[in-house]
Amino acid sequence: MNSVISLRGVVKTFGSLRALNGVDLDVRSGEILTILGPSGAGKSTLLRIMNMLIKPDMGQVIFEGKNLGSLTKKELRHVRSRIGFVFQHFNLFSHLTALDNVAIGLVKVKGMKWQSAREIAMEYLEKVDLADKARNYPSQLSGGQKQRVAIARALAMEPDIILFDEPTSALDPSLVGEVLRVMKRLAAEGRTMVVVTHEIGFARGVATRIVYMEKGKVVEEADPEVFFTSPAAAGAQKFLRSIMENAV
Amino acid sequence: MTKGGLAEDILTSQLLKENKNEKLKRLFRRSLTFVVIVLLGALIYLSIAKVYPFNWTTVLRYRRLFITGILVTLKLSAASMGISLGLGLVFAVMRTSKMELLNEIASLYVWVFRNMPLLVVILLTYYGVGNILDLSRFWAAVFALSAFEGAYMTEIIRSGIEAVDSGEIEAARSLGMSDFQIFSSIVFLQAIRISLPPLIGQMISLVKDSSLASVIALNELTMIGRQVGTSSFATFESYITVAVIYLLMTSVLSYLGRFLERRLMLP
Ligand SMILES: Nc1ncnc2c1ncn2[C@@H]1O[C@H](COP(=O)(O)OP(=O)(O)O)[C@@H](O)[C@H]1O
Ligand SMILES: [Mg+2]
Repeated sequence: MNSVISLRGVVKTFGSLRALNGVDLDVRSGEILTILGPSGAGKSTLLRIMNMLIKPDMGQVIFEGKNLGSLTKKELRHVRSRIGFVFQHFNLFSHLTALDNVAIGLVKVKGMKWQSAREIAMEYLEKVDLADKARNYPSQLSGGQKQRVAIARALAMEPDIILFDEPTSALDPSLVGEVLRVMKRLAAEGRTMVVVTHEIGFARGVATRIVYMEKGKVVEEADPEVFFTSPAAAGAQKFLRSIMENAV
Repeated sequence: MTKGGLAEDILTSQLLKENKNEKLKRLFRRSLTFVVIVLLGALIYLSIAKVYPFNWTTVLRYRRLFITGILVTLKLSAASMGISLGLGLVFAVMRTSKMELLNEIASLYVWVFRNMPLLVVILLTYYGVGNILDLSRFWAAVFALSAFEGAYMTEIIRSGIEAVDSGEIEAARSLGMSDFQIFSSIVFLQAIRISLPPLIGQMISLVKDSSLASVIALNELTMIGRQVGTSSFATFESYITVAVIYLLMTSVLSYLGRFLERRLMLP
C-alpha cells in the first residue's frame, strides 16, 4: 500500500525540551491509524508536524512523494488544504455561523462563490446531522455539536487524509458518543485518518493500526488486537492499565 | 405544531411580557432620576444666581461665534478620528507583525506619543513642524491630535488582535488559508469587534482633548468660550455653555457607539 504521509527521522525541540526525538512513521492510504500515549509524549506535536503547522528541526515530512520542507509557501498551503485537521478545542471561527465555518475554506482556498460554497457546506452539515444548526454561531452550540461542525469543516475540503487531535477530550462524557459515531462513519467510508485519542473503545474497534508513543518516540506499532491483549512495551502495559482504571 | 411547541410559545410570550414590564420599570426609574437631577440642578443654579447675576443674553448674542466653534471642533474631531484610527490600524498591524523592524518602528511611535503631554505635541507640531511645512492652525491641530490619539488606538487594536483565539488562526492555516486571508477574514473582524468599546472611549477622549488646540489659538469651541468670556465679562455663562456642548457631543458619540456595539454583537 502507498503512504499518504511519511515521517523520516523527525526531531522537534522546544527550548531544551525534545518533544519529538527521531520519529519514523508511514500513514498508509485508507488506514485508521490511532496514536496512543501519555500526555506530553509528543502526539499533538507529531500531528501538527504532519501538515507543517510546525516545522521539524530535523528530518523530513513527505506528502504524496513531496518533501514538505522544500515547498514554497503557496505549495505548502495547497498541501494543507489536502490535509484535514480536527482540534481538541474545536477552534471554530467564533464570528461565523456553523454554515460559514464550513463554507469559508471553500471560498478562501478553493475560490468558490459564497453561494455555492454554502450549498456544499450544507451537505456536509447534513452529513454530521447538524443541518438544523446551520444558522447558529459556535457560542450557541454544545461541545459535541461544535466538534461535528469542525469535522464538517475539514471534510468539506475533500481532504486526502484527516488528522484528529484528541477530538473528544474536551467534551462532556455524554457528548463523546455523537462525535465518535460521526468518526466511525468516516472510517467506514474508507477515509485515511490519524486519530490521537484516549478512547480505548474507538482504538480497539475502529483503528486498523496502533502507534504507541512515549517521550517523543514511537515505542510500539501493532495491530489493535495484539496491542490491547499483549502490549510489548512495558510503558504501554502501564499506560493501558491506567486508562482502563480511568474508564471504570 | 406539537404540544411542546405550544408550551414553548406560551413560555416565550410570558417572557416577552416580563421583558416589557422590565422595560417599563427601567423607563420609570430613568425618568425619576432625570427629574431629580433637573430639580437639583435648578436648586444649585438658583442659589448661585443669588450671588452671581447670570446674564444669558450675552451668550445668545455671541451664538454665531459659538456655532463656529462647534463646527471647528466637530471638523477637527472628525478628521482626527479618521486619521488616528487609520494610524492605529496600521501601527497595530506593524506591532503584531513578525517582522522585527516594523515592530520596532511601531513600538517607537507608541512610546513617543504616549509619553508626551498632548499640549507639548500640539505646540511642537504648530510652532515646530508647522513652521517648516507651513501648516495652518487647523491642520497642525489635526495632525498633532491624530498622532497622539493614534498611539492609544494602536495599543487598543493591538490588544484586540492579540485577543483573537490562536486556535482559530491555526484552524484557518490548516485549511490552507494565506496569512493575508487569515488576517482579513478571521483576525481583523474579530479584533475590531473586541476593540470597539475601548475605541469609542478613545474617540470620546479625542473630542475632549481637542480643546487643547485652543493653545495655538485655533477657533474651536474652548477658544471661543475664552474669547466670549473675556470680552463680555459673562465668563461663567460662557464656560457653562462650552461645558454643556462638550457633554452633548460626547453623549451623542457614546450613544452611537453603543448602537454600533449592539449591531455588531454576536449571539
Ligand atoms: N509550543 C510549545 N512550546 C513549548 N513546549 C511545547 C510546545 N508544544 C508542546 N510543547 C511540549 O512538548 C511536549 C510534547 O507536547 P505535545 O505534543 O502536546 O504532547 P501530547 O499531545 O502527547 O500530550 C510537552 O512536554 C509540551 O509541554
Ligand atoms: Mg496533545
